[in-house]
Amino acid sequence: MSLANTALIAHTRKLDLVIRHVLTGLGHGIHAGRERGAGVEFSEYRAYVPGDEWRRVDWKLAGRADRYFVREAERDSHVAVWLVLDASASMAEPSRSVEGLDKLAYARALLGCVAAIAQRQGDAFGLVVLGGGKVAFTPALRGPRHLQRVLSQLQRAVPEGDLPDTETLKASLHFAQSPSAIYAASDLLDWPSPLSVALTRLRQMRHDVRVLGLQTQAEVDASFSSDLAYRDPEREEGVFRFGADLKEGYRRNREQHFSGVTAQCRKNDMPLTLAAIEQSPIEVLRRWLRRPGR
Amino acid sequence: MNTLWWLALPVLLLPVWWHRKKRVQKQAAPMATARFLPRTEPRQTRIWRWSDPLLLLLRCLLLAVLIAWLADPVYPWRGDTVVVTQGADPAWVEREAAQAGLANAERVTLPAAQALGWVHTHEREWRSDARLLVLGDVPMPAARPAFGRAVEVRTQAAAPARIERHVHIASERAAEWRRMFAAQGGPETVIVDDTPGAATSLIVWDRAEAPPAALRAPLWWVTQPSAFPELAKARALDGLRYADSARGRLWHHADWPPRDAQAARALLDDWQQLHLGPRHFTLAPQTFAAVDGADAPEPSGALRGVLLAVLVALFVLERSLTHARRR
Repeated sequence: MSLANTALIAHTRKLDLVIRHVLTGLGHGIHAGRERGAGVEFSEYRAYVPGDEWRRVDWKLAGRADRYFVREAERDSHVAVWLVLDASASMAEPSRSVEGLDKLAYARALLGCVAAIAQRQGDAFGLVVLGGGKVAFTPALRGPRHLQRVLSQLQRAVPEGDLPDTETLKASLHFAQSPSAIYAASDLLDWPSPLSVALTRLRQMRHDVRVLGLQTQAEVDASFSSDLAYRDPEREEGVFRFGADLKEGYRRNREQHFSGVTAQCRKNDMPLTLAAIEQSPIEVLRRWLRRPGR
Repeated sequence: MNTLWWLALPVLLLPVWWHRKKRVQKQAAPMATARFLPRTEPRQTRIWRWSDPLLLLLRCLLLAVLIAWLADPVYPWRGDTVVVTQGADPAWVEREAAQAGLANAERVTLPAAQALGWVHTHEREWRSDARLLVLGDVPMPAARPAFGRAVEVRTQAAAPARIERHVHIASERAAEWRRMFAAQGGPETVIVDDTPGAATSLIVWDRAEAPPAALRAPLWWVTQPSAFPELAKARALDGLRYADSARGRLWHHADWPPRDAQAARALLDDWQQLHLGPRHFTLAPQTFAAVDGADAPEPSGALRGVLLAVLVALFVLERSLTHARRR
């Protein structure tokens, strides 16, 4: 199951197909308790759009008006879900064992799943894509049509350049007015970074911040080919090589970096999920969405 | 001097340098966590690679051929050779060649007077192990020839041809002059013409009056200088006065016609040495050893035509290939 899903991410361009597969595997285990009843407190009718559940279509009204209308209910909560995608150049890091899979595709699939869950629960959800030194902003709305919009924005994200600087990102934090759940997917290689500053700040504003740190299995095992020369995609300085003599140093430096990241997240009460992109997206999503302390 | 162009061969290093592929950063694979590695020089950057090896080869060849064209090289292509002078006895030539072990060697036939000079000019064309034999009636050169390689010369004096010298005597004492010419020995025979003609090479003018204006000859012996105004300013050498005039060269001596046999012999010898030139003398058979300092003359561009054609062809190819690569 896990390999099938990972290969699906690697080989399909259809994000909704991936999401359907992942969510099918997920079952109903992580649904938040705030699911609203479709007809608990009637609010208004709105026109049907593809993707709406058929059971929410008002058939009597359809019989009278010869058009489909969907009953909208009053919302219980005003929680908005914000998806933050790091699309800097380092997110293009490919898996060295699964062909065609990279960190950005994996992050894209998982954020798409979170968006689909949010849409299913009736929450508003928005998207922030950070890459090429810019912030691309999709406002938080509800509904299946908005899900399609967010998925296409995710699909369009390409890994390039650096994260936007702290000032730019700070100016873009105006979205966080109401209580929000913020799901950030990044490789966390730049830490502290404008992203870490922004997330810390959001957490201090009492938003629920959840960080997903993506790695590859080769990074975890320090098992790169020693035949190739390497360069840093975000820093134009020199060429690197990898070899058995450098393995221990690499592992030590990397562990030191991530223990710092973990410590800082714990200090700021931001749940951090570290995952390798070769792992099953279902498992990773379950770990990411699980409430801390449960 | 042309050989100094070979020193320009290091120019070939230029295209080699230009075609050496630079270390390209793009060849390195991206690795997001490269920051956790120490900066070290990757090992494979020391490998030399060439871009467009075909074009590099063409350019190197083009430069090499250009330098060769300028240096004008001589390819030593001649093997054992027998140089035979024209008119040599074929039977004697065969015998001598066989005796020298060169019966099957290449034969080159040349006029006798040019044989040694031609061998010297083309000296570089023989391979180092080739043997050279010159056969025939080779005349003695003025100076001893020096060759950069061993040259053997075997000579056979040809029977001297009879030479006639036509003389016209205008004199009251013609008998004395005739007696003197009768004493002429050697291969030449003196014929006394009654009337001067085109073949007359000497006129003896032993009269007081001037000769007819139309009378011409290469040499005049004059006893009465009053008839020839040119002799007034003539230079003298041992009593012999000489001058050039419109009729020909004039000789005058106060004691002509010669009174004794010694004076007659001296005059005939002077005539031969100063006017007709030395008699043919066959070189003695000998072997000229290789002389270290004897430089063959500069090559005359034997290969330049071929090299130029190759140069043009290479240039056209190089241009076409460069153009094709650019598109």
